[in-house]
Amino acid sequence: MLLSNGYEQASEIELARQARAEDEGAFAEIVRRFSPRVFHVAHRFFRDRGHAEEAAQETFLKAFAQLKSFEGRGSMEGWLTRIATNTCLNMLRSASRRPELLNSDLSDDETEFLETVSSQVGGETLDAEQKVVAVDMAERLLETLSPEDRLALMMIDGEGASVNEVAEVTGWSESKVKVRAFRARKKAREALEKLIGAKRIV
Amino acid sequence: MNHITDILDNTAFNGLTESDLSTIRAHTASCVECAHAFAAAELSSLLLTERVSEAADSTANANPFFQTRVLAAWREQQAGAVWSFRRLWNATGAIVASMAATTAALAVLVFVTPATNTTDQQTASLVPYSAETVVLEQDRGDNQMTNDQVISAIYDDDDEGR
Repeated sequence: MLLSNGYEQASEIELARQARAEDEGAFAEIVRRFSPRVFHVAHRFFRDRGHAEEAAQETFLKAFAQLKSFEGRGSMEGWLTRIATNTCLNMLRSASRRPELLNSDLSDDETEFLETVSSQVGGETLDAEQKVVAVDMAERLLETLSPEDRLALMMIDGEGASVNEVAEVTGWSESKVKVRAFRARKKAREALEKLIGAKRIV
Repeated sequence: MNHITDILDNTAFNGLTESDLSTIRAHTASCVECAHAFAAAELSSLLLTERVSEAADSTANANPFFQTRVLAAWREQQAGAVWSFRRLWNATGAIVASMAATTAALAVLVFVTPATNTTDQQTASLVPYSAETVVLEQDRGDNQMTNDQVISAIYDDDDEGR
């Protein structure tokens, strides 16, 4: 906290200039000011708190190394969001684990959840226990997708972001975002369709 | 079938218009496959919404010591950069120093030594007889014999033999 004194009023470009000169207080203020945004991006990719923190830390260290490239034309938040997104995508790529979502791998809670939810038609709110199961299943579903498809699906279908917003964060063209979202949506739908179909047959 | 799945895959579930939904509902009333596809798309949307909601909660409850952690990593990185330069210098310093010494020695040999030779040559040209010339001339003088001396030396030996 002491480190941040005197920097709270500083403009983004001023903070960047001071941090470039290895001013720890300025760098601390950047971390303090933009941590919520960077964490928001990291949690979009990583449910695990440890992984999200690792990604956020990596983002700030990379940002410090690339401070020369911040010229103040856009906002620092947007600049950090792009760095965070790329960092998370790279971390997920290196993990490269895409297990198929199989009916036989479902826990009892997940099976029960599927039976309950798929028999109801829209609009119901989930209780706390169902919410936990839903997030577990969502994570398993997302793990079956490529990091890029996962990002597009999370942002557009989960957060309600526009194609343009995803394009801005990732640097992809709008058509690429649309293709990614289409593919991810289709794959997720088909995977869940199999699970629902299997439950109904059983 | 394709028409319904195309609608479902082209748009986020929450972004489906009333027109899309009424088309889908009309079709799924009589098509089990499309009803499954629709239920799966709806479930997918529900799961994602819950996942996003949890992510937002996690963001709000971030580790209060995160800033301290990042700054510690930053300091470590900065110290690492200095340390790695020192290590590099320690490892290669002796080689670099010997290379510098060799270069300096070569420079002395190239630029200073020829100047010294020139001075010697200039000095030598001022002296009428160099030591070398004197010795050579001396040898030449000692070894040179006139024809008479040669003949007398030969015949003197013959006379002594008789």
